[in-house]
Amino acid sequence: MKNQYNRTRRRLLQGMALAVSGLIVPGFAQARTRALITKPIPSTNEKIPVIGLGSSRTFNVGNDPLGLNNVAEVMRHFINAGGKLIDSSPMYGSSQPAIGYGLKKTGKANDIFSADKVWSWNSDLGPEQMEQSRQYWGVDSFDLMQVHNLVEWKDHLKTLSRMKQQGKIRYVGITTSHGRRHDELEDIMKTQALDFVQFSYNIINREVEQRLLPLAKQRGIAVIINRPFQRGDLIDKLKDKPLPGWASTIECKNWPQYLLKFIVSHPAVTCTIPATTQVEHVKENMMACFGSLPDTAMRMRMIDYVEKII
Amino acid sequence: MGDLASYRLSDFILFSQTAYYRQFELYNQSIWPLHCVAILFALMIFYALWKNPVGAGRSVALLFVVSWVWVAWAFLYQRFYQIHVVADWYAFGFILQAGLIAWYGVIKNRFTLSVESRPKVKIGSGLLFIALVVYPFIAVISGRSWMQFEMFSLAPDPTVLATLAMLLFYKASIILYVIPSIWILLSVITLFGMQ
Repeated sequence: MKNQYNRTRRRLLQGMALAVSGLIVPGFAQARTRALITKPIPSTNEKIPVIGLGSSRTFNVGNDPLGLNNVAEVMRHFINAGGKLIDSSPMYGSSQPAIGYGLKKTGKANDIFSADKVWSWNSDLGPEQMEQSRQYWGVDSFDLMQVHNLVEWKDHLKTLSRMKQQGKIRYVGITTSHGRRHDELEDIMKTQALDFVQFSYNIINREVEQRLLPLAKQRGIAVIINRPFQRGDLIDKLKDKPLPGWASTIECKNWPQYLLKFIVSHPAVTCTIPATTQVEHVKENMMACFGSLPDTAMRMRMIDYVEKII
Repeated sequence: MGDLASYRLSDFILFSQTAYYRQFELYNQSIWPLHCVAILFALMIFYALWKNPVGAGRSVALLFVVSWVWVAWAFLYQRFYQIHVVADWYAFGFILQAGLIAWYGVIKNRFTLSVESRPKVKIGSGLLFIALVVYPFIAVISGRSWMQFEMFSLAPDPTVLATLAMLLFYKASIILYVIPSIWILLSVITLFGMQ
């Protein structure tokens, strides 16, 4: 509880510091005057920005100094643009130590919403693995801990529930990706106490609109969307196609913003976590966190357009 | 362990091409001047195949044992494992192969040069040429930094290709082909999975 109190206090102070910096630095003030699009986590109503940062593949750089500094730069631009949620997993090789390096270098460990996963077929090793992850990140505690890809989910969820009660984590979640094991995930969502669920969704793969997204809405579970660009394949397919003129009405200047705004405009989606190695891309992605979101009619138009040209 | 069935091997390729090839660059920087030893090993193999002196089979086998152990420890476990969560298993496989070569080639001394089959000699020569001569230049040919080169006895792919060539030149048990063949498959999956 003390950690939570400190965290709230820190965030209040950070908010005041941001307000002051906005008065002092005009460029910064301009960026800040535009409201960041946020959505509430249903279980607490805490609001988080709709664009997060994934780390699968992109932050797995080993102990390469060039790679680590690049990760830190990506993180710095993400956080400076207002980004909060950073997601990782023990499965992503050296991504967790790289995030720790980035947080230490940027000095922003207290500014983020930390989301990690437990990924072990031996549930007895879960607490040890989570502690190792926490040390890699260099944070006091994780905001969100998720069971990775439903691995040993029954035992891990019991552990996470206990950790939440003890104040060691704030939210409990479970993940899958690549559209796998949705039937099992649906059962878990119906029967378990979850704050978050994470799965794949994008403009051309919308299967989760049928059952998982409505169920999350009904059960009050926050939704994180992974693989918003299908690991870059969607961008590759669209990059040479013209963006429709009407995209400007929802303030989309490029395809990544178009694809991201489509995802986060779904009423059940809380945020999405594009991953990148490039500062320019993180800047582009974060611009999807500003302006207006498409309504239902516009979402249909977005789907029709992409399906015609792809 | 039923959960494991939902994974594909490509799901474990969670690193980029840039990060992968940077591992070779950092590795090459850290082990210099061991490359000179690797070149010496390559020359010794060429000499053994050309002159076939007494004890050549056992000596060549020993060179390969050293190479497989070194690649397992110095590259796969110390370097590649940083970005690839299953590279420790790869390292284990390489140690196993080193043990098999040591058993058949060094302890049992069963590596005798065989040039009876012309296709075998042709394929073996081709593989050896690629492993020892072409492979170090693939990085530059591909437009990457020359420091990302991969050499026989230091990097896995050229070491495995040279091993297959050696097995074709010397009469060798079929069991010695298993791990190199699996590695070729894994390597192809890795190279495509990164794209």
